[in-house]
Amino acid sequence: MKNRLNKFLFDFSVLSIFRRGSKNIFIFFVFTLLIFLLSSILFISNSIKSELDITINSLPDITVQRLQAGRAINMPLSRVNRLLAIDGVKAVIPRVWGYYYFANAGVNFSVVGIDQFEDQYRDLYTKLCDKFNFDRLKIDSGMLIGSGIDKILKNNFYQGYFNFVKPDGSLIKVKIDGIFNGDTKLESSDIIVMPSKKVREIFGMKPDEAVDFVIKIANPSEIPNIASKITQLYPDSRVITKEDLKISYQNLFDYKGGLFLALFVISAFTFFMIIYDKASGVSSDEKREIGILKAVGWTIDDILKEKFYEAFIISFVSFITALCLSIFYVYFLNAPLLKNIFIGYSSLKPEFDLPFCFDFQTFSIIFFLTVPIYIAATIIPSWRVASMDADEVMR
Amino acid sequence: MIELRNVTKEFKVGANDKVVALKNINLRVKKGEIVLLKGPSGSGKSTILSLIAALNKPTSGEVIVDGKRVSKLADNFTSLFRRENIGFIFQRYNLIPTLSARENVIVPLIPSNPDSDWLEDRLKELFQNFSLESKMDVIVKNLSGGEQQRVAIARALINNPSIIIADEPTANLDKKLSLEFIEILKKLKNGHNSIIIASHDPLFFDLDFIDRQIDIHNGEII
Repeated sequence: MKNRLNKFLFDFSVLSIFRRGSKNIFIFFVFTLLIFLLSSILFISNSIKSELDITINSLPDITVQRLQAGRAINMPLSRVNRLLAIDGVKAVIPRVWGYYYFANAGVNFSVVGIDQFEDQYRDLYTKLCDKFNFDRLKIDSGMLIGSGIDKILKNNFYQGYFNFVKPDGSLIKVKIDGIFNGDTKLESSDIIVMPSKKVREIFGMKPDEAVDFVIKIANPSEIPNIASKITQLYPDSRVITKEDLKISYQNLFDYKGGLFLALFVISAFTFFMIIYDKASGVSSDEKREIGILKAVGWTIDDILKEKFYEAFIISFVSFITALCLSIFYVYFLNAPLLKNIFIGYSSLKPEFDLPFCFDFQTFSIIFFLTVPIYIAATIIPSWRVASMDADEVMR
Repeated sequence: MIELRNVTKEFKVGANDKVVALKNINLRVKKGEIVLLKGPSGSGKSTILSLIAALNKPTSGEVIVDGKRVSKLADNFTSLFRRENIGFIFQRYNLIPTLSARENVIVPLIPSNPDSDWLEDRLKELFQNFSLESKMDVIVKNLSGGEQQRVAIARALINNPSIIIADEPTANLDKKLSLEFIEILKKLKNGHNSIIIASHDPLFFDLDFIDRQIDIHNGEII
């Protein structure tokens, strides 16, 4: 019987929360807001990081570009055979792609040509695309588009097709054959995939040219060695390894992540200021009340238990409320304002949705950074007061 | 039996100074006895009450209640001692102003998680005895001084204490309410409770149900 939950003590704690209503509403509001901000930041950065990890894993081993006066120009296809002759090179894949600026929406589309290499891309694009038969791409000469582009085209009254403007000013109408539903929305949201022939037409490229080559290497430890051989073979080339790309992606993420970190630090700082203020003492009314409770027979344990219930109810309800709000804000509303801090180039790229990425670790970090700290900040000053003689406290 | 043996109590004032509130007090209160501690303000009456209720500890000497050295008890045990033995009626009532009369009265019992039915019966009995039935759910800060004091008395009696202590119980009451309080006190004398009152109100000086009156001046029993 002794261990059963003390209903009276719990009721008294709930009553105490309402008795100090305005103060507790303020604490609840500030606490909820801060946890909301902290968790939103963590959710967004986690989602983007998971996008990034998927993107990094799909990067080519080596990408070769051709430079002229420091500017990238098209690669002649004649170089493919010499590159294939290098020991350790498994495949050389010329890529035909480019950024197409759609002035009406003020955004860039990444247009990628693939038909010559359909076997390599078949599985990937079939997986990424909703209800799409990959072979239709070849037959219809249509295109696959990212979900972001789909939205933009619909907003601009394009239904099922898009008119690209060629370098000579004439139009080329391309039918939409499918829409990416991609795991990696950050990557695929602004992508258009179509036969290389069409891409060449849109960008005015010659048939014996590619934008760059993607090189597959049999043994990943050979990548630096092969990269240096390519540089020796073609001194006008820029050789970008998977590691280089990883670093540049990571730098972009870290830079944006730094802004998030700054926001995180500000939120955390505000939170700890409140905690410090709370931990530095209890109000004279609360102090007197603790004295009265002691005088009528409450032990220090009873007082701390009551304060624990009070703090736990406030902080846990705040935590759950903030977490729900945060999930709604990040994953249902797609984090307006905050997401733009990371996606700083959103004015040039189409919108993408943050993928749902909820891991227990993030949940635990937010919980342990907030709830126990708040409880401790409530209990410690109460314990200090409760440890004094009741007579002294009431005076 | 309550016994104070050679009790001295000093209070620190500032960094180095101290005030001697009680000097070598020796006092015995038998079970069922009603004792009045008289003396002017600042004479040390309230300090004696605090020491008996273990709200404070003597600087030297001992306070013994029913053979238990309460002045040597650890903090949590002094709380338990008060919960089980003491009903304290404070001069300023010391009610929690934002709770209702009913909630204030049950406060001492909350840690012991009492049986709800028993508690309801006990509350009904106390609120009837003190004519407070209609005020049960009124927030105490909205009650009159007399009503607040009756709530404070009900709170002191909720746990059937063997020792009832009243510190200047009529200091904040008019004469009519003071006489009402004295009537309540008279009813509490039942041969089982020891009652100790500290007051300098002349109304108490000629009451026949008070067994003993003790004069205190400058921290000493005269």
